[in-house]
Amino acid sequence: MSKSNIELQKFRTKRGKRLLTHLISTSLQYKLWIAFLLLLIVLGLIGYYRQLRYGLVVTAMRDYTSWGIYISNFVFFVAISLVGSLFSSILKLNKNLWARPLTRISEIIAVAAIICAAVIIIVDMGRPDRIFYVITHLRIQSPIIWDVIIISTYLVISILLLYISLLPDIALCRDRLTEIPKWKKTLYRITAINWHNHPKQIAMLQKVNKILAIAILPVAFAIHTVTSWLFATTWRPGWDSTNLGPYFVSGAFMAGAAVIIVAMYFVRKHLKLSKYITNIHFDKMGKLLVLLSLVYLYFNINEYLGPAFKMVGVEGEHITELFVGNYAPMYWFVQLGGLILPIIFLMFNRFRKPLPILIISIFVVLGAWFKRFLIVIPSLQHPYLPIQGVDESYLHYNPTWEEWAITISSFAWLLLIITVLIKLFPVIPIKKYKQGSETIFKQNIF
Amino acid sequence: MENDTTKIPARRKFLIDLSNGSVLAIYGLSYNSISSCKQASEEKTTLMTTDGKLVQVPNSEIEEMEHLSHGASPKEARKGIPGKKFVMVVDLAKCKNAKNCIEACDKHHNLTPDRPYIKVLKMQDNEKSAPYWMPKKCFQCDNPPCVKVCPVGATYKRTDGIVLVDNERCIGCRFCMAACPYSARVFNWGAPPEGKLDIPYSPETSLPSQIGTVAKCDFCPEMLRQNKLPHCVTSCPNGVIYFGDEIDDTVTNGEETVRLSTLLKEKAGYRYMEELGTKPRVYYLPPVDRLFPFEETTQENS
Amino acid sequence: MKSETKLISYFLEVIMAVTFIFGANTISYGQDDLQDAIVTLSFTEDGKTKIIQAKATDQDGIPIEDLELYFYVQRTFSLLPIGDFFNATDENGIVEILFPEDLPGAAEGHVKIVVKILESDMYNDLTLEAIKNWGIPTQVDQFEEKRSLWAAAANAPITLVLSISGMILAIWFIIGYIIFIMYKIGKIKADKDTQFIEEGYFKDIIERS
Repeated sequence: MSKSNIELQKFRTKRGKRLLTHLISTSLQYKLWIAFLLLLIVLGLIGYYRQLRYGLVVTAMRDYTSWGIYISNFVFFVAISLVGSLFSSILKLNKNLWARPLTRISEIIAVAAIICAAVIIIVDMGRPDRIFYVITHLRIQSPIIWDVIIISTYLVISILLLYISLLPDIALCRDRLTEIPKWKKTLYRITAINWHNHPKQIAMLQKVNKILAIAILPVAFAIHTVTSWLFATTWRPGWDSTNLGPYFVSGAFMAGAAVIIVAMYFVRKHLKLSKYITNIHFDKMGKLLVLLSLVYLYFNINEYLGPAFKMVGVEGEHITELFVGNYAPMYWFVQLGGLILPIIFLMFNRFRKPLPILIISIFVVLGAWFKRFLIVIPSLQHPYLPIQGVDESYLHYNPTWEEWAITISSFAWLLLIITVLIKLFPVIPIKKYKQGSETIFKQNIF
Repeated sequence: MENDTTKIPARRKFLIDLSNGSVLAIYGLSYNSISSCKQASEEKTTLMTTDGKLVQVPNSEIEEMEHLSHGASPKEARKGIPGKKFVMVVDLAKCKNAKNCIEACDKHHNLTPDRPYIKVLKMQDNEKSAPYWMPKKCFQCDNPPCVKVCPVGATYKRTDGIVLVDNERCIGCRFCMAACPYSARVFNWGAPPEGKLDIPYSPETSLPSQIGTVAKCDFCPEMLRQNKLPHCVTSCPNGVIYFGDEIDDTVTNGEETVRLSTLLKEKAGYRYMEELGTKPRVYYLPPVDRLFPFEETTQENS
Repeated sequence: MKSETKLISYFLEVIMAVTFIFGANTISYGQDDLQDAIVTLSFTEDGKTKIIQAKATDQDGIPIEDLELYFYVQRTFSLLPIGDFFNATDENGIVEILFPEDLPGAAEGHVKIVVKILESDMYNDLTLEAIKNWGIPTQVDQFEEKRSLWAAAANAPITLVLSISGMILAIWFIIGYIIFIMYKIGKIKADKDTQFIEEGYFKDIIERS
């Protein structure tokens, strides 16, 4: 698409122009970004090809550290997928109108993250060729099966949630955008399913939206609680905890909010949407992040205080390893840099401006990722029986380049899905209806 | 009552095997017994099958049993050997880390030394207590955490108490490895080191092993089907490992045969980490009144 | 067994096949040195007390004194010794041992009792076997039908199956209902109301700057 397209395209309002321009024009920056992501994806595919060919031996995982960064990455993706429900359900039901422009971004991130979570768990399998055994030989007693069920359910609900809120905007794109290629016109025509703002349609859509907003809440809580049960149903130190469900859920909300802030920053900057994603949004998100971080801090203290006080056997060894042992630098980076310092900084006004809060949020996201590393790996390295009589490489876990390439490429996939969805559909909800069955259109409050 | 009284040629010892539930075959140890059986074909011999039923077999029908060269098929292997509950007792007082059990196990399961099914761990319960060697296999738990978590039923608990892995079902998620509190399981991270073995797969031998699947100590069910002891038991030079059937209340280390209940009572047998509630089928006898001093390296293990 | 006071005796006669038993062994042991003993077993049961009596005689029917006999019960992998540590015959050639009261047998209590002469200086090795229902009948718990968390898929706990199915049905019913509504939305045709709204929309849009 060249600039002439934008000149040819007629917008009826300035608002329409601002919110729809990015669907038509394609900048060089955007192309470079896509190329960069594709490069990372190709690197990951090379790593995965080697893993398929030689087996999981190309990873650093061995008999004791039998789960590695694939699993911690999976937990991370599941965590950030929860953010869709935070905005579409919790903030919406609480009538937090300021959060409306962020709903679409959060829903897009949720869909992308849950897709990546499902893919990365297949990458972790020793026999991906037998993936359908989880359906044909399903054992309902296994927490993995519960996770498979809940992830597929959440994937469908997330897509529905995104689609339903998007529907009037797709119809708008179908009706207004003239200077777009034919495939895009076809895409809009098909996905808009004959939407034409009929009062009945609006009433029905609002009803569906409300049902979904309520229905997604238990599913969202369940998805991360069930994921925590993959760990809590075992006897490993750090996993054998009744606190793990709320600990995972609260951590997920915190990570999700930070991811939204990072996404907001870049969307606002590159799509020039500072009129819609304002400094007020950053300020409000900063306050929200503090609240969510405090909840997470509470569960963190609960998670570590008991075992650290009692210092029982391998549980004590595990705690020592985290607090002052080999994993101490990472542990304290996660706890201080990714949790406590962000809470302190974000309490001040000046750090809730776009750039400072972006940097803080990046720390929170990094902390959240490494936190999941710390949840998965050190626990496996402290079994009840001593690790003896095995190769030296079994005692440590330093991910190989294949693992890093695959992990980084999973992030590239995440960003690619987000980028493409933003490119195809308006990232800020354009059409707004009054609550109830009134059919008068109302401008976005911002 | 008359069935109880039988005439049995004294020189002949019979082992009876009801392998795979149908074919009755009898295995005569004495090399010249078979020809004599066939001459006296009208005579019948009363024999007891492995599951305790009495059967009368014409002597002419008695034939040497054909051994199963390898274990049962994946489908058959799920059933378990009828009427049995296998149990193991490890006498920690006798172990001097000779590692013959590991060698024999590695040999029969085609394992490389870096990923054995059996480990002999140097244990020291606290600073003051004396160190001892602890041979550790799969505990074949009666409340098995690994079986609970398997999403596809690739690992299963049999009626004879043994937990096996079906490598043709396993999807390689490794949840069972995370769930096992005893680190009993190993994974085929790469291609099997032995290359391709041209035999049909059996979960009872765990052979041939398959890339991307889980494996572990299996109590050698293909030996048990022949009423033979697992390889680790027979290979131990110090008689550390007792094996038997809990229903029989008898265990043997190949030389000495004792009642399980007596052994556990007299030597204060225990199960490792009883508090986890996994109900292991492997018992330990405490390392008291040791036969050997504890040495880090001995001639056998150096 | 049913009438506990009644004394029942069973006699097991043992035929010795002597001429060709130890084919290969004859060379090393020397045929002339060792004789064949005849051992007769009898089983006595009085209430809970079960006694195995063995009587050893030589070929001429003269009792053998001080002959070491070994008593066993056949188990899955080996022979379990019963009786005392040494069981030697008395001057009448008789030795009695007590059968353990609490030894498990097969499903109906059958046990195979094995009596042996081993490495005697005077007599050839000998093995006698007899099957008695003196063991405690053991019912093997096959536990195939038990529903548990570690059972096969078909034997999952019923409460687990019901609760998970209930939850799946509930949420997928909602999803199905939403998809149905979406389908209905797609079926609604445009009419003049819609036109009005469309025009109204353009008038209402006020740009805030």
